[in-house]
Amino acid sequence: MKIKLTKACFIPTFIVGTPKQLLMIIMRTFIFLFCTALFGFTPRHVSSQNDKIVIDEDKVVTVDEVFDILKTQTDYTFIYHEDLFKDFPKVQLKRGIIRANKLLEQILSASSLDIVVTKNNKILIKEKTSHIRFQQRSVSGTVTNQAGLPLPGATVLIKGTATGTDTNFDGSYTLTVPNPENVLVFSYLGFETQEITVGNQTTINVSFRESISALDEVTINAGYYKTSERERTGSIGKIDAKTIEKQPVSNPLAAMQGYIPGVNITQSTGLPGSGLDIEIRGKNFITGSTDPLYIVDGVPFSSELLMQRNNAVAFPRDGNSRGLSALNLINTSDIETIEVLKDADATAIYGSRGANGVVLITTKKGKAGKTKVNVNVSTSMGTVPFVDLLNTEQYLEMRLEGIVNEGYTLETLPENLIRTSPDLYVWDPNRYTDWQEVLIGGTAYRNNSQLSFSGGNEQTQFLFSGGYENSSTVYPGDSKYGKASVHSSINHQSVDKRLQVNTTISYVADDNNVPNFSTRFTTLAYTLPPNAPALYDENGDLNWENNTWQNPLAKLENDFRLQSKNLLMNSVISYRPISALEFKANLGYTDQRVYQYVTVVTASKNPAFLSNTLSANSTVNISNASSQTWIVEPQMNWQKDWGKASLNILMGATFEKRQSMQLVHTGIGFPSDSQILNLSAANVVLVDLDQETEYNYQSVFGRINFKWADRYIVNLTGRRDGSSRFGPGRQFGNFGAVGAAWLFSEEPFLKESTLLSFGKLRSSYGITGSDNIGNYNFYDSYETTGTSYNGSGLQPIRLFNPIFGWEENKKFEATVELGFLQDRVFLTTSWYRNISSNQLVGTPLPGTTGFSSVNANFEATVQNTGLEMDFRSENIQNNNFKWTTTFNLTVPKNKLVKFDGLETSTYKTQYAVGRPISISPGLYHNTGVDPNTGLYTFEDYNSDGVINSDDLQWREDTAPKYYGGLNNTINYKNWTLDVFFNFKRQRGPTFLSTVSFVPGQPTNQPVSVLNRWQQVGDEATIQRYSVGSNTLLSDTYSKYKNSNEKYTDASFTRLRNISLAYAIPKDLLRGIDVSIYLQGQNLLTFTKYQGADPEQLTQDGYLPLLRQFTMGLQIGF
Amino acid sequence: MKNLQINQYRWPSITSARACKLLYVPVLIFFLTTCSDFVEVDLPKNQLTSEQVFETKETAEAALRGIYGKMRDDGLLSGSFNGLGYLMGLYTDELDLYALSSTGEAYRDHALLATDPIALGLWNSTYNQIYMANDVIEGVGNSVSLASEDRDQFKGEALFIRAYLHLLLVELYGDIPYITTTDYITNTGVARMPKTLVYNQIIADLILAKDLLPDEDISIGGEKVRPYAAVADAVLARAYLYTEQWALAEAASNRVITEFGVLEPVLNNVFLKDAPGTIWQFKPNSDGDNTSEGSISIFTSGPPLTFALSNSLVNAFEAGTFIQPGDQRKVHWTKRINNSIGIWYHAFKYKQRENTGTSVEYSIQLRLAEQYLIRAEARVQLGDVPGAQQDINSIRNRAGLGNTTATSVDAVLNAILQERRVELFAEHGHRWFDLKRMGRAAEVLAPIKPGWRATDLLLPIPEAELLLNPNLLPQNDGY
Repeated sequence: MKIKLTKACFIPTFIVGTPKQLLMIIMRTFIFLFCTALFGFTPRHVSSQNDKIVIDEDKVVTVDEVFDILKTQTDYTFIYHEDLFKDFPKVQLKRGIIRANKLLEQILSASSLDIVVTKNNKILIKEKTSHIRFQQRSVSGTVTNQAGLPLPGATVLIKGTATGTDTNFDGSYTLTVPNPENVLVFSYLGFETQEITVGNQTTINVSFRESISALDEVTINAGYYKTSERERTGSIGKIDAKTIEKQPVSNPLAAMQGYIPGVNITQSTGLPGSGLDIEIRGKNFITGSTDPLYIVDGVPFSSELLMQRNNAVAFPRDGNSRGLSALNLINTSDIETIEVLKDADATAIYGSRGANGVVLITTKKGKAGKTKVNVNVSTSMGTVPFVDLLNTEQYLEMRLEGIVNEGYTLETLPENLIRTSPDLYVWDPNRYTDWQEVLIGGTAYRNNSQLSFSGGNEQTQFLFSGGYENSSTVYPGDSKYGKASVHSSINHQSVDKRLQVNTTISYVADDNNVPNFSTRFTTLAYTLPPNAPALYDENGDLNWENNTWQNPLAKLENDFRLQSKNLLMNSVISYRPISALEFKANLGYTDQRVYQYVTVVTASKNPAFLSNTLSANSTVNISNASSQTWIVEPQMNWQKDWGKASLNILMGATFEKRQSMQLVHTGIGFPSDSQILNLSAANVVLVDLDQETEYNYQSVFGRINFKWADRYIVNLTGRRDGSSRFGPGRQFGNFGAVGAAWLFSEEPFLKESTLLSFGKLRSSYGITGSDNIGNYNFYDSYETTGTSYNGSGLQPIRLFNPIFGWEENKKFEATVELGFLQDRVFLTTSWYRNISSNQLVGTPLPGTTGFSSVNANFEATVQNTGLEMDFRSENIQNNNFKWTTTFNLTVPKNKLVKFDGLETSTYKTQYAVGRPISISPGLYHNTGVDPNTGLYTFEDYNSDGVINSDDLQWREDTAPKYYGGLNNTINYKNWTLDVFFNFKRQRGPTFLSTVSFVPGQPTNQPVSVLNRWQQVGDEATIQRYSVGSNTLLSDTYSKYKNSNEKYTDASFTRLRNISLAYAIPKDLLRGIDVSIYLQGQNLLTFTKYQGADPEQLTQDGYLPLLRQFTMGLQIGF
Repeated sequence: MKNLQINQYRWPSITSARACKLLYVPVLIFFLTTCSDFVEVDLPKNQLTSEQVFETKETAEAALRGIYGKMRDDGLLSGSFNGLGYLMGLYTDELDLYALSSTGEAYRDHALLATDPIALGLWNSTYNQIYMANDVIEGVGNSVSLASEDRDQFKGEALFIRAYLHLLLVELYGDIPYITTTDYITNTGVARMPKTLVYNQIIADLILAKDLLPDEDISIGGEKVRPYAAVADAVLARAYLYTEQWALAEAASNRVITEFGVLEPVLNNVFLKDAPGTIWQFKPNSDGDNTSEGSISIFTSGPPLTFALSNSLVNAFEAGTFIQPGDQRKVHWTKRINNSIGIWYHAFKYKQRENTGTSVEYSIQLRLAEQYLIRAEARVQLGDVPGAQQDINSIRNRAGLGNTTATSVDAVLNAILQERRVELFAEHGHRWFDLKRMGRAAEVLAPIKPGWRATDLLLPIPEAELLLNPNLLPQNDGY
């Protein structure tokens, strides 16, 4: 028997082809299941049944010739008897396009043929042999992972068909297979897909390998399009739910800390609900924030919470200028992946808002399969580290020494100093309190419960989840932070897969009543004299110790509350009229509401100073704010492959509108404090703010991706943006990038290498921008003052400069990606350079102009360069034991390259060309304590004999020198251990520099002040103590605090996270997944820094980061 | 979109490049042409452009109210912790500090640094108020829709504000720039102007303001919360006094005194909101509010939390004898708080510390007693000792004291300084301006201020300001 074997071969055709043939090639696509209609198979994998076969002229052909046409336009090989179609009638083909299945239907209409798709994309066609009918057989087996544990829910399919099943809870399956040539496809997310030909087997057991090195299978979300790890041309960092889940954090940024190279995240306070600072590849703009663009499920998300920030209302920033963060309104447990777009290739499609990078947050979606329930509960306990402070004995010694140093004794101290010294004259000198224990020494508990249901079938998948967490604080009182969320996701696709609809709805509400800023607990914990009186008197009332102190707990009587809610809805609807073309619409809506109040009540005041009208001076400040954003993004995606070439074109447009409003009231004077939240009971109600803003944004964008021979890839992206933040004629800007990749490991000379399994060079260059300037800034508008003077007043709020425009950021990157030993060792090394110009800054102005700054574009250029390294290694992998290591390192460098007229500008003292922009303003250079006078001395740079502002020449750079993370994951049988360190080399403010009083004055000090000058000849680091009436000494102290001594080495290596999980064997629990885990956050810090926390870049009054210990339980069935 | 249809027969004739173009063009055209005004937004309801503000009387008036509100709440004239009353009270011999406050201590001890944040804040807020006044002057000048009498009045008020603020600044800092425009480019590089020229500008502005302002108080309910001609005259009298133009000072104060007549006889009524001797005062933010002065000064049990009157001030009030009762101002305008720990006094000119439902007291900026004392000083300098004595006695008699015994020029001047001390204590830094003007600062303060230096007569120009505008150099001596 002669077998005809043909293989589609299109290269020669392409080379010699006419334009028409070229078009055929363009139109060529897989025909995978053309036989569907004919043989009763249902379509499964792609929508290829709709694909068209191009007929270039009218002709009459044989069936064999039809197969030739099919073969040249597909990747499939057809195998059949040479004479199988001998007797078939000829077919008349018309010029044009015909669907593959239609074509086959015509030629094979009367046949009774068996068609089997086999392992190597070969399609067997043979006559149905009625006399030797194949006995349908049942195949069964078990699917396990490497550790031998059964995998429930794995998919088993007969290749080329929709026939299949899912494995049971014990990993077993049974399937009826019609034909021994059939191939079974075993797949499970996160594992390498396996194909096995059935043959004579009746039992097929499969052990999956985790597909950590399967680069093609790792889908990378690039926002408007998806790409694969293998083929991407841009720089995109990623973390997934696995990394997020092992960290007991409430803010998504906190979970990213240290995992992604080039992304520097700093947490400045340990208070729940607070924000984090993020810098992606350095600080690009002289002023303006480093906030990237956040996109949650395709909808832009503002990280700024609409709070009332004016001075009248303290909020629980605990010194943190960023206040609370709206990112807390995303439930971290709902996040599937966070992708960070870094280079021009990845960010340019976000145009004007991509300069600081883009953070894409994608929430979890349901998966087809049996309905799964997942429950996760955990409890954390957190405490803050303490600083070594003086005890009472040391403290009083310091005070007395300060008195003696100024020539006084306790008896001769001037009256004005006695007045401010109750610690020496009134309070018990034997009393000792470590105020850290009292004010920030509590344990913060965090309880977190999450529940989810997911499942669905081929067409429709769903996921519903809900979560609740609450945290208490380390402060006294019963304040807390709570967060509740619901999340749902529904995906649907039509049977022919042409229509797809994905909808996500999330609603998160949080409620924050942590003590308000005015309590200053952290600052007081460090500065209250250690012999300060008891908090409560013998009656249990607040103790005011005869009005000699402000009881710190009194402020707790004032209420702070901030309730925020965020609704996020997103629908993506896509339709493919033909397989090459997809129309898509991304529709999104967010609604943020913030309700906030702060009260000042009678009980918080020293009763000695109250008059009769007790609550007449109580005040409440209430802010109601809301913000709505909608976004509409029509898109079109056209993709064609032909031969070795592949082209993908994306075009789209964005319309975005954000409206927000805020209404702030103050109520003064109430009949009783119990009515303080009832504005209608107030004697006086003022409207402090009644404002609304609107921000409109539109753009068109496009992307052209061209791929040749799977190894040369070019990616062009562009965007034209318009923003309402700019004045007439300056609203539009153009942005774009080109990226290219060369997979040199695919070249013939390397393809057979056993060592190098993957090699890619990629590079990109492009321009992005920023409109990060705030709304309406080009108007010289008047606004209400918020106060009344026989009626409300108006005030000018800014100087007039309508001619400012986009900031520009030019990004370049070159990267090499190398995989060794089947990608078990993988190394990515990138070098980047970002140049930001046309800096949009509030130029500081002298006060004589009436304002402190004016908005303008500055002829200044900032350059960020850096080296990023990402390393991953699968050290050991066998059935019971697996050890993987990941390591990343970033070495950033920031430089002010150009600044026209810096020397004459108002920025002269702040910046220097050739130095980083994060450099400190000029500082004095402390040259130690003069052994004779006991006073600090400073370097006299200009040798004019006086130390004054001309000697402010020392500069310090607080930007990190390098930072990174090291993660080790060890799996042994049912145990998983994760150990994650992150590290940063940097300089930061000393703890001492934040204490604002001269040692010797009535505030406590860190123990480092003990090394002070006491007598002539002493070599000391701290100048002599002073009780505080010495001008000279105050002056040197204030210079000291503004000297190089303000900064110290604040480098650290921190055991950011350690997590140990144990999965209880399934056979013990009848198929229920149960795992128990222990997690530790910030448990260990290796640092030379003397202070509460080296990570915080501002020490003043910030609560140190919590050391947290978590226990949890996860149940799935 | 016709070109996007996949036509079975025509499709092959379209090249891929052309296809791209055809896809791109309609999309682009659609989005760029139909929505080009999508990114233009109007100002929100709570903002107006500068031009709109000066189109109507109501909004132009609101711009002025904005300035008064700022002056009341923030800066030199506010009765709060960043006002002259408190800061210069500490700087001189009026107030004692009880709070642990490094900023307050710097003023009390004369340990001021050029980086002092309070001084910077005062400087910036005052120039911001001057900017607002200049913007009103320019906006009103450019307005075509305002009635001419409104234009005159608004411009007069703004000129008055500008002049008065500059007068306080020149007294505090010496040579300063006189800002007459809103143009930030000009104002960024301004240099210091010799103070005689600054005074000339101030006086010119005040004279112009006086002409433009209405003769009668136009405040709602006659509350004297908006300037009118006599208010400009009162400040003019002070400007002439500070520049030792005695005849003009006498004339200006004489005009004010003639208009207002005799002093309010009852001491406890002097600081009520409808006191007849009030020339100009600030309306509180909301009804029921009283003064910041009252709320920060008054304490009800000791020791005080923040500050109290100094012993030397308390002792400066003339004590009574068998024949003659003591200074009634000590009785009515100060209050003694005592307990087992000690005795303290607070200013009790303003009696209200808290909200009273209906306001009782407004923060008084200018009052008639000062005009008597200005006229007294001008008269004695012009050689009219009896006239001066008569004015001093008007003040003394109201306070329950007998006529002054001073007869020589020096003695009368001393008597005036003493009378100013006990009449105008804790009011807007009068004590400091008097000591400085009369050349008595070193004599009085050097013994009690550990950090006293001769250069303390001027405050430092904020260092941040010098860095931003080197044309303001040199710094005042001593900083």
